[in-house]
Amino acid sequence: MAKVTVDGKTVEVPNGANALEACRAAGVDVPHFCYHPALSIVGQCRMCMVEVEGVPKIQASCTVPVRDGMVIKASTEKALAARNATMEFLLINHPLDCPICDQAGECKLQDNAFGAGLPVSRTSEPRRQFPGYDRTPIGPHVIADMTRCIQCTRCIRFCEEITETGELTFIERAGHTFVWTHEGKPLDNDLSACTADVCPVGALTTKEFRFRKRVWWLDKTRSVCDGCEIGCNISIEHRDRVVYRFLPRVAPAVNDFWMCDYGRLRAEELNGQDFLKPEIRVAGEATRKQTNWGEALDAVKIAIDRARDEKKKEDFASKGRKDGIVVIGSANHTTEESWLLKTLFEDSLKVGTPEFTVDEGPRRRIRNKVDGWIYGSEAAPNSRGAEAAGLSKKSSSSLSSSTAVLYISDASFSVKCNDPAFVAELRKASVLIVHARKRNALTDAADIVLPVAALSGKEGTFVNAKGLVQRIDMAIVSPPVVRTDLEVLLHLGSRWGAFDARWTPRDVFEKMQASVAGYAGLTWDSDALVGNPPSISPAAAYDVLGLERDPGVEVFPRPSVTAPDRRS
Amino acid sequence: MSGGQNVPVAEQAGNPRAGEHGALSCGRALSFSPETRADFDRLLGRYPTKQSALLPTLWLAQREWGWISREAVDYVATILELAPAFVWGVVTFYTMYNRAPVGKHLIQVCTSISCHLNGAEEIFHECKKRLGSLKSGEVSPDGKFTVIEVECLAQCDKAPAVMVNDDDYAVITKDKLDAFLKGLA
Amino acid sequence: MSGLEPIPPVLLARLGKPGSCGIDGYVADGGYASWKKVLAGAGSGEWTPAKVTEMVKVAGLRGRGGAGFSCGMKWTFVPLKEKRGDKPVYLLCNADESEPGTFKDRLLMESDPHQILEGMMLASFALDVRHAYLYIRGEMVHGAEILNKAVAEAKAKGFLGKDVLGSGLDLEITIHRGAGAYICGEETALIESLEGKRGQPRIKPPFPAVEGAWGCPTVVNNVETLACVKHIVDRGADWFKGIGRNEKNTGPKLYCVSGHVEKPGVYEAPTGIPWEQLLALAGGVRGGRALKAVIPGGSSAPMLTAAEIAGVPMDFDGLVAAKSMFGSAGIIVMDETTDIPKAVTNIAKFYAHESCGQCTPCREGTPWLLKMLRRIVNGEGKKSDLDLLLQISNQMGNGMTICVFSDAAIAPVISGITKFRGEFEAYVAKSQKPEFEQHAPDDLTNAIADRTAAGIHS
Repeated sequence: MAKVTVDGKTVEVPNGANALEACRAAGVDVPHFCYHPALSIVGQCRMCMVEVEGVPKIQASCTVPVRDGMVIKASTEKALAARNATMEFLLINHPLDCPICDQAGECKLQDNAFGAGLPVSRTSEPRRQFPGYDRTPIGPHVIADMTRCIQCTRCIRFCEEITETGELTFIERAGHTFVWTHEGKPLDNDLSACTADVCPVGALTTKEFRFRKRVWWLDKTRSVCDGCEIGCNISIEHRDRVVYRFLPRVAPAVNDFWMCDYGRLRAEELNGQDFLKPEIRVAGEATRKQTNWGEALDAVKIAIDRARDEKKKEDFASKGRKDGIVVIGSANHTTEESWLLKTLFEDSLKVGTPEFTVDEGPRRRIRNKVDGWIYGSEAAPNSRGAEAAGLSKKSSSSLSSSTAVLYISDASFSVKCNDPAFVAELRKASVLIVHARKRNALTDAADIVLPVAALSGKEGTFVNAKGLVQRIDMAIVSPPVVRTDLEVLLHLGSRWGAFDARWTPRDVFEKMQASVAGYAGLTWDSDALVGNPPSISPAAAYDVLGLERDPGVEVFPRPSVTAPDRRS
Repeated sequence: MSGGQNVPVAEQAGNPRAGEHGALSCGRALSFSPETRADFDRLLGRYPTKQSALLPTLWLAQREWGWISREAVDYVATILELAPAFVWGVVTFYTMYNRAPVGKHLIQVCTSISCHLNGAEEIFHECKKRLGSLKSGEVSPDGKFTVIEVECLAQCDKAPAVMVNDDDYAVITKDKLDAFLKGLA
Repeated sequence: MSGLEPIPPVLLARLGKPGSCGIDGYVADGGYASWKKVLAGAGSGEWTPAKVTEMVKVAGLRGRGGAGFSCGMKWTFVPLKEKRGDKPVYLLCNADESEPGTFKDRLLMESDPHQILEGMMLASFALDVRHAYLYIRGEMVHGAEILNKAVAEAKAKGFLGKDVLGSGLDLEITIHRGAGAYICGEETALIESLEGKRGQPRIKPPFPAVEGAWGCPTVVNNVETLACVKHIVDRGADWFKGIGRNEKNTGPKLYCVSGHVEKPGVYEAPTGIPWEQLLALAGGVRGGRALKAVIPGGSSAPMLTAAEIAGVPMDFDGLVAAKSMFGSAGIIVMDETTDIPKAVTNIAKFYAHESCGQCTPCREGTPWLLKMLRRIVNGEGKKSDLDLLLQISNQMGNGMTICVFSDAAIAPVISGITKFRGEFEAYVAKSQKPEFEQHAPDDLTNAIADRTAAGIHS
């Protein structure tokens, strides 16, 4: 560790840190563009200028390794003038098209222009243009506009150092330098959209989010990607019950600053709700009718009770009736939901252990500094949580189905739920009950459909591939009547007196801690569970640097309750 | 993924060495001739890393094909195990790799300060004019000439200095220009 | 001081001799004698790397590439074997001569390549180098051919290769051609370029002597510097020290004189020859005209007026005292007919074209300066432009960028405008462009002051 004094405040930073990081550790935010904690140091934006005692020339702080006893002056007139100068240079050729730029609102150039720029412009020269290199896709997900580029090379370094695919390069030199791909070799790797994340300006934007929402309208909610079991920390960015995008949240032990394109594009998947009310099929009728929750849950209870009673009857076997009740959970559930399933059906109703299966998905990967690459191969986020909660893991072909009542708590537990043959197998049950949000072959076949919320409407915890327990927060209050799986199970369980319907996810979390492996000793509100806040803030540098955080300081504000629907 | 075609750079519009940001295609896959391949193999032994041989390898490519096409970049990237984008970034950084075919005589007129003091700009414009009002970097219709402006050739004592392909020509004044151009043809 | 008396040519001694590039002529003229002497004495301990380094240090040899840093000192920055472990040391001969107004290295390489190679060999001995590289600029195609031939000849004679002259020492020299980039003359950009990358200067520290080419200790020396090394080992440090104005500016020096002189060319003279003598060597100002200005050290050096350069000793310290720099000794002479704004614009064009493009102030600043200067000489200048040019220039240099390229780029602009402001004002006065709304510099200063007072820092 090195003791460094920044603007009179002394802090300890690890050896190998640079002056910029020391400034941030001391709470002095030095504006910068090219510096990125996960990428190599190039020191070329010349924004983070500071004075270092004993060094006559002004220094780019990111290029200065700390020494014990170093004295950094980050706010002297000379330092501020240097940043003014750099801002001026950056702005003389920047199009200043903020009104039509998607980055506006989360643009480092805007931020730093406000913070460190001059109030006037002194240039009257024509601005540099890149005809043919503006508003052009450079890959399946990224659109480049070189007139806005400030040549910080973060995207180039990302492709060289993180994905090691090297699709991007500086082309030309001097004032014409810009970033592009080689002809015929588009920016097409599994993390390509991260280049838009690291881009401090609107030079790289994602095709999927472009022009969909001004970012200042977006609410940000901490969540975890449900694309695979890696469990990348994400921010669900939403407004008026619409999810607009996912952004990665800094998680040094999981996804660092990154997330894969597949996971990012799942944002759209969270929108849409086919089932807004419970539906129930009256015996003998072809179609279901909409109903209310009371009636629906009563019907579920009746079906289950009848099946339990039937089994007790003496002539059960001789009449050739189907056997009992089977419950199929899901690796998409939070651990809390899985635990409720298990507690209700196995412990209270004693109808056997709920089963679940998890699809093998394409291999996903993400990279962090701790583990290097981590891989995911399951198509659901929480098979480990489901197992820990006591569900029995099976292959999709060995799930029990020929039964009196088949209770499926997630109608999308497998891609096979759209496979008619698979659904026909499940349909062999006398009564088929499903929780569902979107319509598929399985919901078409079901007798009772209970409408449930998407990931964005849930709270709870997932256990990722590394065994880390990570919390997801509710981003969106689901449309009226739609409930979360957790609420459905609580209300159902309360009908047998097993649960109290007023339990919150946190209550369930605390109740299950003793019996679920890996949960003992965890705290619902701990930083370990909630992770970093959505936007990369100076505080993120603490984690990246591995610095100890003062435990008494509330570094991350707790998520606010989702704003009410502004349209009403 | 192509950018615009023939995008003019403000500074040197039409210069085959700077006018194209994106690599042009030559329309066929390329690979070195056996002789060049042998030269290339010799090169590799001279550097501790393969990447270091990039500049000399690009020189070999330019010797073999006259200019650096998209396919040449792809080929060089393959044999040196580099990303093609990286190779293209290097090609565009340096001014001497031709990014489009050039005339048989690539006339490079120095216009830096010492030559400027001796009237180099006039020679440059005169040169283009006398070759049929060529634009900078344009290949003359007979395929013989391309005229471009270059920075200091370290021939300041012989200003205005001109380089044609690999050969240096000293003190090309306006009255010597016709003879000089004739000598080339 | 006697050190300034005319000397018989040293570096240019063999200039113009038939076959001056061939090894036979070179050996006949006493070439490679030092190399043989040193290798022969290496076994007995008569010659050690430390001894060669000490000689160079004592001789007071300063880098001939531009910065004028002590060559012997630079060599001692290489970590000792105990510290660097198995890492090899590399010697790079910087032959990327591209500073406008400089053409001495080209002459050396094209007329007497073996003395450069011998200098490289001796330096390699001093630095424990097994593989030395000579980075020659791409434009010097024939220079590269000559050097390649010279290397092959030296190898054939056993001066290079495995077990050189039976000394047990291995040494290879590779000629590496650049491809057209002024910035590759900057030593870290040169290393990047040698490694097969875009020639973008590196952040220092680490300095090349500690971590240079391929992460190994690397010494980068100019062509002329290394040629001097040969002559120092030939004739001794005291001989070298005896030439020149004082003990800090020693040895024979090549001066490149170009522009408006009768006989432009490379002149060898003791370091520190007074300006008037040098000008006389070059035949005086062309056509007997009056002198207007001189750029004394390649285009990066601030220009001096005729009055300022009068009597100035043409060496590192003499020109620093005159508030310019010696640089690469590329002396560009401008007579009374010279249009200074146009000359400055021409130099600005060079820098706008040659910036590597990584640091913001240089990448954005050099074209901005050029655009404004072009506007002025095209008759569209504004009165406020001149101060703005100076202000922009002042915020590009002094540590604002990774390398000193931008300091070089602003020197001609600042010196040109401050020293010949009248000429610029004359252009502005004739300007057709009406003076629209201007942000006077005062407004700006006030605005900054307001913000500072308000505590708006970052």
